[in-house]
Amino acid sequence: MITPEEILLVENALSFALSNGADSARLTLNKSLLDLVAMRDGELDRVTHSLDRSLQLALFAGGRFGTFSINRLDREALEDFVLKALGTLKLLAPDPMRSLPEPGRTAKDAVTGLEAGLYDPVYEGMTPEKRLEIAARSALRSRRTALEKGFTIVSEEEEYSDSIFDTLVIDSLGTRCRHTETSFEIAADITVQDPSGARYNAVWWDASPRLEDVDFDGCAEKAVGKAAEAIGPLPCGGGRMAVVVDTECASKLVTPILNALGGFALQQKNSFLASTLGRKVLGDNVTILDRPRSAGRPGSRFFDSEGVATAETPVIEGGVVKEYFLSTWTAKKLAMDPTVEDCTRPCIAPTGGCGTLEEILADVGEGILITGFNGGNSNSSTGEYSFGIEGFLFKDGRRVQPVREMVMTGDFLTLWNNLTHAGSDARPCSTRQIPTLAFKNVEISG
Amino acid sequence: MPRSSYFELFGVTEETLGRLVAEGLSRGGDYSDLYFENTSYLTLLLRDGQVSSGGRHVDFGVGIRVLKGDKTGYAYSETTSFRDMLSAARAASAIADGQAGPVLSYGAPLPPASPDRYPILSEDAEGLTDFMGRIEKGIFAREQRTVKVMVSLTLEKSDILMYNSLHETACDTRPMATVAVTAIFAQGDKIENTTFSRSRRMGTEMFSEELVAEMIEGAVKGIDERFEARRPKGGKMSVVMGAGASGILLHEAMGHAFEADFARKGQSIFTGKIGRQVCPSGITIVDDGTIPFDRGSLNFDDEGVPGQRTVMVEDGVLRSFLHDRVSARHFGVAPTGNGRRESFRYMPIPRMRSTYMESGSADPASLIAEVRQGIYVDNFSNGQVKIGEGDFTFYVKSGFLIENGRLTSPIKDINIIGNGPAALADIRGVGNDLLIDGSAWTCGKEQSAPVSCGIPTVLIGSLTVGGE
Repeated sequence: MITPEEILLVENALSFALSNGADSARLTLNKSLLDLVAMRDGELDRVTHSLDRSLQLALFAGGRFGTFSINRLDREALEDFVLKALGTLKLLAPDPMRSLPEPGRTAKDAVTGLEAGLYDPVYEGMTPEKRLEIAARSALRSRRTALEKGFTIVSEEEEYSDSIFDTLVIDSLGTRCRHTETSFEIAADITVQDPSGARYNAVWWDASPRLEDVDFDGCAEKAVGKAAEAIGPLPCGGGRMAVVVDTECASKLVTPILNALGGFALQQKNSFLASTLGRKVLGDNVTILDRPRSAGRPGSRFFDSEGVATAETPVIEGGVVKEYFLSTWTAKKLAMDPTVEDCTRPCIAPTGGCGTLEEILADVGEGILITGFNGGNSNSSTGEYSFGIEGFLFKDGRRVQPVREMVMTGDFLTLWNNLTHAGSDARPCSTRQIPTLAFKNVEISG
Repeated sequence: MPRSSYFELFGVTEETLGRLVAEGLSRGGDYSDLYFENTSYLTLLLRDGQVSSGGRHVDFGVGIRVLKGDKTGYAYSETTSFRDMLSAARAASAIADGQAGPVLSYGAPLPPASPDRYPILSEDAEGLTDFMGRIEKGIFAREQRTVKVMVSLTLEKSDILMYNSLHETACDTRPMATVAVTAIFAQGDKIENTTFSRSRRMGTEMFSEELVAEMIEGAVKGIDERFEARRPKGGKMSVVMGAGASGILLHEAMGHAFEADFARKGQSIFTGKIGRQVCPSGITIVDDGTIPFDRGSLNFDDEGVPGQRTVMVEDGVLRSFLHDRVSARHFGVAPTGNGRRESFRYMPIPRMRSTYMESGSADPASLIAEVRQGIYVDNFSNGQVKIGEGDFTFYVKSGFLIENGRLTSPIKDINIIGNGPAALADIRGVGNDLLIDGSAWTCGKEQSAPVSCGIPTVLIGSLTVGGE
């Protein structure tokens, strides 16, 4: 998708920056094309066509560093911008910790962009007519079920989109990496109303880098089913209880752990996992892996934004912190060895002997099944959290009643020391392989 | 900037624009418009005592929209070469599938534009790093427990040219200056952080000595209480929302449900309730794009409609939704100047500007005195709402327990959760102290948009509080 002319433009911009005062530089060209067709209540509602190009420049000059971006990619505008960017650097104080990554750390196996196996040539054959046909096919076939069950569908929306994303990273030390991926996605958003006028909304989606892997049929029906089963929530009191977190939303409880292992939070002393590298801080059964090199799997990527090669590595193993995510700069600031700047494709190892949601519910017996988070936040310094939740009360492994307007509170270290189950049911379409999770002794208010 | 300068900046003429909208309408669209944007911004970041990182960014392009009834075709080009713009116009025209016909108006006639609400007085970047340094040093000097301070500053300017198939043209230059601070404090082995920001549609004249003092005060305010604070016992209880930043709850829990795209699709809980009582009498809720230099103000919205002040709820009665041209046509009313977009890459949709509840008559202290057991909250970090249901959740950074009518122990890091329309209907009293908060609020409904919010002190009878 990135053309030879655009590659030449980027190479020329790098040379121009170096010959006009930059000591070193990294340039990243991102290019994407997205087409979307949206249906509403069974009829075409929106079509959009989005072509984006953006050049990001990381410039180092006289010990100073800055990041710049521009989407005007004609040579004259670009060279004018590079000169202004170099002028802006003079506003900044020198930072001796800034540098490009050592060439030995950067990826050498992402040359064509196709190595991650995320490009589907079928994309090239997509036409407006095919997109419309897929979007129309994903709409609800019948509203009879809703009427029979005593609720009405007040809004039905489906969106089909396909896209291609292409990125090229080059730097003045010879790094050259490329990543190309396609994506095909279907999503349905349904709002239903019960006889009392109360409304319930649900979303279902599927996506894949390959068209043939996407389940387009029945997407809207699944969303209707999710909305309908939430009808009639009742209060269920609060207290300390077991919670099971559906794979659809379990990532919410993993992201703060990964953020706390990030160099930025650590360097700014804003992490509840500071000074934990090599220490056991979570339960014995907690293992989180970074698996960025599983070619063909959504989320795989062979290099980070600095061009540094990613690696398959344990992040947490048996509750022991094995990895901090340290860019070249944060590593120098912390006087540690650099790694990669983020966890690319987190995967949680199964524990507790159950694979699926239903098996975990049966094994846990009684508690709250969380199917969605509604707001909330966490304190990155202390690890304390408070999240709005919705889902179901379950007893004897079976859903008893829907619940909402409830809050889950606690701190992440305690929560993850109380992990009882991690399934093996993460959806293949997810870039983060987070399965159904279960925790004991969680504080719930409602 | 004179009108001709906008045409020069984007390299277009009125004749070019006319040809582009004609292409957009060539397959039977009812209406077409163009949105040219040139946004540039400077960012500076102070960390570890030095402004050692920053950057400059440029975003340039044109969005082309074609409407057919309520349906939208949208495409954009990152160049303003005629060939690329024509290609985008053809892509957007695909929403219709017929022959060119009459052009429709999409909304009643527009009111006249007002004088510039945010003229830029200075663009001089000299001294910005010193300004940031004074904030950092001031925080360290003021509070001995400070261990880290990070100050970010953004200076942005967008030049906008809009044209539509009714041959209406609107030009606008929108500045935005923002400074934000994050401070980390340590007391023994306890760590706490605070954040504070200020953002206005101004040039560099915003970065004054008065603002340095305000930023320092904002960063250290309440840190003693944060170290002492605990989570309260959870459950249903009365909640007093402090004036100012609590307005984010009004924005999220009620304001989104007033946006007319949700009403048009039947998704809003307020669908079909125009003219009906939706909360106690005495409550008036406004969305205002006319406050000089306010972060949410607009001379024109992103459809070329002049900025306005829109009363949504008057004395408890729902009077108006917030409209873009599409919903205005759907409901047969004039657009309210709420058609906004993140950039030329996005089609406009109804969005809030500065949303606030007007002052009531109660003494704020009397509202606290009414509560036997509850909480007082005045510092929210974020919130979320489900538009269809009206359910909301807000994360409270800090506040106080109310026991027997008095503020007692400090509290922190909790959620309050409820239902927007139910909470509106459960308002027991409104203070006489409306305060519009000047923080860098950004609404995230599908796209980002700068907004502001405000509220007087308000007592809500019962909300769920998540605690220990």
